[in-house]
Order: sequence, then C-alpha cells, then structure tokens
Amino acid sequence: MRLSVRIPLIVAALMMLVGAVLSERVMDRLTQTQDRHLRQLGETYIDGLSFPLIPALIRDDVWEVFDIIDRSRSLHVGLTPIATVVTDAAGNVVAASDPDAHPTRSRLDPDFRDSFPADEWAGPSHAESRAFLRRELRSQDRTVGTVYAVLDTTHSVRERQTVLLTLVATNGVITLLLAGGGYLAVRYMVSPVRILTHHLTLSALEGIDPVPDGVVRRSRGEARRLFRSFNRLVDEVREKRDLASRLAAEERMATVGRLASGLAHEINNPLGGLLTAVDTLKRHGADPAVRERSVDLVERGLLGIRDVVRTTVLTYKVDESHRPLTGCDVSDLAVLLAPELDRRSLRLVCDNELPGPVGVPASPVRQALLNLLLNACAASPAGSTVAVNVRREDGMVVARVDDSGPGMPDEAVDYLTRGDGKAMPPPSGRGLGLWVVRRLAKDFSASITVSSSPLGGSRVELAIPVAEEVKHADAA
Amino acid sequence: MLPHVSRTGHTRREVIGALGTGLAALACPTDLKAGTPLTVGLTPVFLNSDLALLDGLRTYLKESTGSDVQLVMRRTYQEVTALVLARQLDAAWICGFPYVRHREALHLLGVPLWRGRPLYRSYLIVRSDRTVADWHGTRGDIHAFSDPDSNSGYLATAALLAGSGMGIGEFFRSSFYTYGHRNVVRAVAAGLAQSGSVDGYVWEVLREIEPEMTIQTRVIRASDWQGFPPIVCAAGDAASPRADRIRSALLAMASGNAGRSVLDMLRIDGFVAEPPALYDSIAAEVDLVDARS
Repeated sequence: MRLSVRIPLIVAALMMLVGAVLSERVMDRLTQTQDRHLRQLGETYIDGLSFPLIPALIRDDVWEVFDIIDRSRSLHVGLTPIATVVTDAAGNVVAASDPDAHPTRSRLDPDFRDSFPADEWAGPSHAESRAFLRRELRSQDRTVGTVYAVLDTTHSVRERQTVLLTLVATNGVITLLLAGGGYLAVRYMVSPVRILTHHLTLSALEGIDPVPDGVVRRSRGEARRLFRSFNRLVDEVREKRDLASRLAAEERMATVGRLASGLAHEINNPLGGLLTAVDTLKRHGADPAVRERSVDLVERGLLGIRDVVRTTVLTYKVDESHRPLTGCDVSDLAVLLAPELDRRSLRLVCDNELPGPVGVPASPVRQALLNLLLNACAASPAGSTVAVNVRREDGMVVARVDDSGPGMPDEAVDYLTRGDGKAMPPPSGRGLGLWVVRRLAKDFSASITVSSSPLGGSRVELAIPVAEEVKHADAA
Repeated sequence: MLPHVSRTGHTRREVIGALGTGLAALACPTDLKAGTPLTVGLTPVFLNSDLALLDGLRTYLKESTGSDVQLVMRRTYQEVTALVLARQLDAAWICGFPYVRHREALHLLGVPLWRGRPLYRSYLIVRSDRTVADWHGTRGDIHAFSDPDSNSGYLATAALLAGSGMGIGEFFRSSFYTYGHRNVVRAVAAGLAQSGSVDGYVWEVLREIEPEMTIQTRVIRASDWQGFPPIVCAAGDAASPRADRIRSALLAMASGNAGRSVLDMLRIDGFVAEPPALYDSIAAEVDLVDARS
C-alpha cells in the first residue's frame, strides 16, 4: 500500500481508537452524572411529598394523600414520576397516582414492592428506562407509611443517545478530516521521493536523468536540497561515464598507433637494403652477378615485408576468428615479435609442438600469446631469453610463456588468475595486455596459471579446451 | 363570563359562606360594629375560590351595602358554621344540613335560585365505564363523600341507605371525605373511589366548564329536589342593620349589571327569600339518619 494511503489510515484508526475511549469515558461520566442528578431530583420529589403526606397519613386522609400525589406530579421539572404509591404503616395502599393499578385499601402488589431496592434508591434500569425510589415516612420515631416512586428515565436515556450520536458524528467528521488532511499532507511530503523514485527507475532502463529545473524550482526546503543533491550526483555519474568512454577511445587510438608504429618499423627495416639494392641496380645493373644479387636482395626484402603484412592482416582480421590454430600461427608470433626482440636485444626460444590444425580459434589465441610474449619481453632484461611452448595435452592446447624478468607482481597474478571474469579495468600501469588475455581466456573457457619459470622469471600457462568436432576431424 | 372552578380544589368552600353576613349586626348595638367591615363566610359547597369571582362578589357587596366587605373562607362547613353560630361572621353561605341542625340559632337571609327554583339535588356518581344499574350496585365500594356536614355530599346518601336499613359502614367497604364537591368528581374519575356523593348543582356546572372530567363519571341516582344551600346569619343578628344590608344586597343582585355578572359566574339566577320550611325534606333526612344511629 502506498505511504500516502497507509499513514492517513493509521491516523484514522488511531483517531477512532481515541474517539472510542473518550466517548466511553464521557458516556460513563454522563451516566453517573445523570444518575446522581436523577437521584437528587427523586429525593427532592420525595422530600416534597413527605412533609404534607405525614400529617395526611396520620389522619388516614385518603383524599389528601391522593391530592398531594396527584398535584406533585406536574410540579417537578425534569422529573416524570410514572407511578407513586403511598402505603400506611401496615403496608396497605392509602392512595396511588394510578388507583386502578393500586386500589386504595388493598395490600400493595408484592411484585411491585419487590421491584424496589432494600435501600432507598435503585439507579436507573436502562433497559426499562425506570428508576426506583422508596422512602419510609417517619413521625416521632414511628413509621407512618411508605412512599414508592417509579421515575421515568426515558429523558436521560434519550439524552445519552443524543450525546453518543453527537460524539460519534463529531469523531467521525474529525477522523475523516484528519485522514483526508493526512492523505494530502503525506502525498505532498512524499512527492519528492516519488519523483526521485521515478527518475531512478528510469535510469535503470534509459540512462540516468536529472530532475527537471522546473520541478526543482517549484520545490522547497528539504525536497529542493534533495533534488539538487540528486542532480549533482547525476552530473558526476555522467562525467565519469563520459570520461570512461573518452579514455577507452584514447586507448584504442594508442593501440592503433603502436600497431602502425610496429608495422612502419617492420617495413622500414628492409627498406634501407631495398633502396640500396635498387641504387646498385641502377648503377651496376649491367653486371649480371650484381643484378642477380641485387634482385635477390630486393626479393628477400619484399618477401620480408609481405610476411609482416600477412601476419598483421591475419592477426587483426576479424573473420579469421573461427579458423583453427595451426603451427604457422605460432611461427608467425616469432615474426611479429622480431622487432621487439631486436629492440630489447632478447632471444626467443620458440618450441612449436602443434602437429596441424587444432580445434581452438587461431586469432584470439594468437592475440593472447602475442600479448603474453610482449609482456614477457617487457619484463625481461636485455640479453636474456624469452621462451614460448605450444603443445597438445589431454584435449587441450597448452601454451606456455617463460620470461627472465623479476617475476610478475602479485597484483597482476591475482588479476589474471581470478575466476570471477568481470570486465574490470586492468591494474594500474599494466596497460590492456593482461585485460585482453583475461577476456580471451574467459571467452574460450581457458584456464590461466602463473608459476616460476626455469628462466628465472614468470611462467604463464594458458590451457584452452579443444572443440569437439575439430577433435574428431583431427582423429580422422 | 363563566364561573371558574379552580382546579386546585380547596377553595370552593369559601364562596358559599360569603353571602350570609348581615344579621349578626342586629343583635349588637349598632354603634359597636359600625365602621367595621361586613364579614361573610364561604364554604366549599360552591365552586372554587376563583379570584375573579371573589373579587366580583366582594365588590358587589361593598357597593350594595356601602361597607367594606371581608370574605372569610374555611376548609369545612363545620368551621364556617361554628363561626356564624358564634356570631363572628355577619353572614355565611352554608349547607342546608347544618342549617337544619341549627335551625333555631340561624336565620335565612337568602336562597339562591338555580334554573328558576331554589332547589337542587344530590347525585350519586360512578365512573362512566362501570356497568352498575343503580345505587345498589355500589355496595362494597370505596365511596367518596364531600363533607360530613354537607347535605348533598353526605347526608342524602346516608339517608338513602338509612331508608333501606343500612349504615354507611355496612354498605360501603370504605369511605373518605374530600372536602370539596369537585374533589369527589376527581376521586371518582381517577378511580380513587368507585363511587361518590356530590352536589348536583356543582356537577352540572362542572359538566359545562370541565367536561373532560365529568365525562369520566356517570350519575346513577339523583335525590329528590331539596332546598339549595342558603345564606344565613346568627338568629340573634337577624334584625341587625348589617344583616339587613346583606339581605337587601342579595335579593337585589339580579337587578343590576354588577350583580348579574357575579351571578353569571356562579351560574345561578339570583337570591330569593324563602321560608325555613324549604329545608323540611332535609330535616326529614336528618331524622331518618339520626334514628338509625
């Protein structure tokens, strides 16, 4: 249930509870007050009767007794005697307000007499709207008679009903007003929360969006501060996202730059020899031996450039991803790595045990191995050795890279081997190489282990499961 | 203007006594009483002491007699009768029964004319829903009398029973006095008494002015016509100028407007001089009842 409905309902329920308790108290007090008041009226009534009745009873004056009863009936405002009976000392009726019901000179009806209390007053019997009052009339220490009065309490009962109705109606109206007011107040109070909830829900679907300026301007106090904080948060999140995408773009540009630089270097290496050979041909082209040597040189130079271009194309060609890995791919690594090895004066020991095509995709594995080897080169000191070994083993292709460096930092080891596979950014200062390896390993369910290498540095082993169908083709 | 019967009931006695005054003055040396107000006693034979009626009566008497008039009201016939016998009142309106009892000591000043005659009757009434055929059916009742000194409210019924050889205590289970004819009607209407003895003149007037009360009662027996309650003075005062002035005022009442309006309130036609023999039938009842006791 919504907050703006629930709170008013709670308020209404509490109000009703309070109203019920208060009403009960009021009615209780009212009943007591009425009872007391009625009793006082009754006592006054009986007192008023007693003085003239006593001498009339002593004289046994039937008429006088009746006349007193009859006339006193209309004398008491707010009191309606239903029946008044006066008996003599022996309990015989002298006169009654209704002589038919209580004939003069007869015994008082025992049922009537028993409806009166032992003491003088019996409070109102609400069911019957009656109160009972009995008084012994005494003169000179002798009982001369008794007055029995039945009083009508309908008026009191009706008054109580009116009061109760008024209470219930008043409480009802107040409760309704409070509940309605509560609904509006809570609705107003929670409206900022609803707006924020709306924006946050949208943000999960369509991207985070600030609260519109108009809404912020219309709001006041805490809501306004809340909206402003939210909008600042939205701005920060957006800035971070923009920054991340800019960084990624820059990283791509850097990779492209490195690739272009490598390619230029690879092409430039034989270019000097080629130009020299062309120059030689121009000047001494007539000499067959020189021509042959120069052409041979030009051919080898062009072949070298072709190799570089081919491996580069193979490495970055997108539709090559499903081509199975072959020994050539491993040999290509040596070609790709040659400029880096030269620059750092390193030696590569390439131990290629792959028999033919195996059921793992060539392109990603080449990229992963290339990155691992580049890292190994970067870690190894000048003049040392970097080794790569690729072999088949129990339905897997296992590629192992050793370096002679100081060992991979724990941070990097942890990043490489952790199995949660989230596309987290690489550890600081590591570049994207490890990230590429990890992503590839995850894509092809490969496992990565890092250990110490016999060469003195780190050994990274990549175990890639071989796909089933290629295995069959291989077996056939 | 209608005579107003008071609903509270205790005053009716007074009006009656009012008219009697004058005679007592005769017995006294006139100088001794000259200048003192005329006193007239009233008893509840009549209707209630309506203030307008009393004022009208007092004003009329004052103008007619030329003296101040004091109306003296008492609760019972007995009290008023005693006062007039003791010559403490110049006149009194009493019942025929005490007049007969004290005929030697009292003197008639005037008798009201009701419906053209100086006569009235006693009624025996029951509640209108009772099915009794005649007075015999009231045996065993609780009976309401008006006054032990009233002819119509007591003696007539006592004489009726005595004529059949019965006393009140034997015939009725119980009885009580209400000291007012209107009260008798109230008592019977309310069921306090099952039957009652009431002045026929009062009952008839009540039937006009309080029909809602009399409709609850029914007359099951009317007595013979008897002398209307008279206005008397002490026999010793009969020749006094004071009594004479009152007598003149009474007898002249029907001839002037002021007097007529008082008579209208009383529902009577006027006052006439009647011989004591008018009350012989009551005297016969007294003898009958006395003979039984």
